[in-house]
Amino acid sequence: MRPVVRLVVPLLVTLASATAAQDARLERLAPETRAPVVGLIDSARSAGLPAEPLVQRALEGATKHAGGDLIMTALRRLAGDLGGAREALGGAASPAELSAGAAALRAGAPPSVLAELRRTRRQSLTVPLAVLTDLVASGVPADSAAAAVLALAARVRDPELVEFRHAVERDIALGASPGAAAWAGALAASSSLAPGAHGGQQLPPRKP
Amino acid sequence: MRVASLAWAAALAAAMSLLGRGLGAQSTGSLTVGVATVHYDGFLPSGAVSLAPRVDWQSSSASVSVSGTYLRFESGHESLQSAVAARLFTDPGPLWRGEFGFVSGASQYLDLASFWHGVARARLHVLGLERGAWIGVSGGATSYGGAPRSVAAASAGVWWRLPELTLQLSTDRSRIADTTYTDVGSRAHWERGPLALDVALGARAWSGMGSNGSGVYGETTATIALGERTALVLGGGHYASDPISGGLAAGYLSAAVGLSLGRSGRVIHAFPTSRSPRAEALPLGPVVRLEVRAERGRWVRLRLHASEAMRVELAGDFTDWEPVALTRVPDGAWEAMLEIPSGLHRINVRLDGGAWFVPAGVTRSVDDFGSEVGIFAVP
Repeated sequence: MRPVVRLVVPLLVTLASATAAQDARLERLAPETRAPVVGLIDSARSAGLPAEPLVQRALEGATKHAGGDLIMTALRRLAGDLGGAREALGGAASPAELSAGAAALRAGAPPSVLAELRRTRRQSLTVPLAVLTDLVASGVPADSAAAAVLALAARVRDPELVEFRHAVERDIALGASPGAAAWAGALAASSSLAPGAHGGQQLPPRKP
Repeated sequence: MRVASLAWAAALAAAMSLLGRGLGAQSTGSLTVGVATVHYDGFLPSGAVSLAPRVDWQSSSASVSVSGTYLRFESGHESLQSAVAARLFTDPGPLWRGEFGFVSGASQYLDLASFWHGVARARLHVLGLERGAWIGVSGGATSYGGAPRSVAAASAGVWWRLPELTLQLSTDRSRIADTTYTDVGSRAHWERGPLALDVALGARAWSGMGSNGSGVYGETTATIALGERTALVLGGGHYASDPISGGLAAGYLSAAVGLSLGRSGRVIHAFPTSRSPRAEALPLGPVVRLEVRAERGRWVRLRLHASEAMRVELAGDFTDWEPVALTRVPDGAWEAMLEIPSGLHRINVRLDGGAWFVPAGVTRSVDDFGSEVGIFAVP
């Protein structure tokens, strides 16, 4: 390869990489915050993590007029959670799955539940993880929420999982404890499955 | 009584001031002008004209309202009534919310009869998304010209909120000096398009005021929005006496035009009834509610119930956290149809350019920026 080409090609690659990192949406950030945010997102991208959740978290901070330190702390935490999610879900996880998995970990779900979900469900894990996170944020104990979602994830479709989450919300509003509501919701969703479904995995006999 | 005159004038001045320069983010005002025929129990029927200013201020944890009513009867005699009410709410717990309130008012008829009262109250609300209950106690003093008399009361109630209908059942046991009585009441508020209906039915029983203090009463008010800020208000019925504020039992029919600085169709009572307007007992928490409904494809309908707002915006990870204004739909709700991918999403809303907050209907979570964010799942 000619010396000029050896110099130009890496330069072009570097420029392309920098251009990709310069997401125009990040111009809403204060200049002194933008540079470290772009650097952190670029590092995450280089590590194979999805950039979009990080961009969105930075934009959320900007909309809420958060200081640069808070935004950077939030991004570092999220990048760590995304990395943890990839470790639990495997390298083939989609960006949406990683994002939902990171939220589940942040909510308190143990990594082993993410790995178990990966083993038990062939379809996308995005919605089960989203429902899991939503349940835990609603006050359902993480282990109860994980047990309910694990019990359902192998057999029900995404809309039914979301409906299950709504049923839990209704029960909580009616006065049920969050754990008991999740358990009752899982039982209800399970019983609504097609004939023959009950022959599959039984819900573990956990106390709500 | 000077207090009634001064308070009424203050309410009128505040309303006129708002009329002149528009509203802040959390304030609403109204001015109602009407005619009525009224038949106070034990008196001859009389026609009357009324002028009623009202100003409300509301935040997520407090509200203050100032209202007044001027009445001029056929005889040429005049009556002034005024009231100030303030409520403070504790931060919402998982299922409950505390409320502390104070109501003070004064009334004057000719130079003969004048009342004033001041009552403090505490309530504990048990909250669901669409229903709730409360128990409360109150205490204070009331005066009819002479020495103040003590007021003590206990109340309990339940409410349900349906898409277009709010229902409320309540009971109150009140003791004014040596007089005691119990009220059982129900209220319903229904709203569709430009029409709002308020119906109240109740009964007073076990009254220590003798047979004159007992009985069944009921009122209906229809509010028809005529334009952006004006409404026609028609009302009628019979209401019980209110020994605390000095209101006499009466039957009435009224018609009025209300000029509102809140939204069109806001319920404005055209005639001073014995009790405050609808749903007074509902705490502030669940008023703003978001429904998330997946439509075809990736389209998601976001529907926000915030009937008092003039402008509603949302921001989330599906809008790049740029504020998106919602559109008011005919039934009074606010809507946006957005393309949102499957997964977990974060959202905040704001009313009238105020602070971002989490509406009821989505899961509340701590964000990374010292505030809260709502999260919801889309299949």
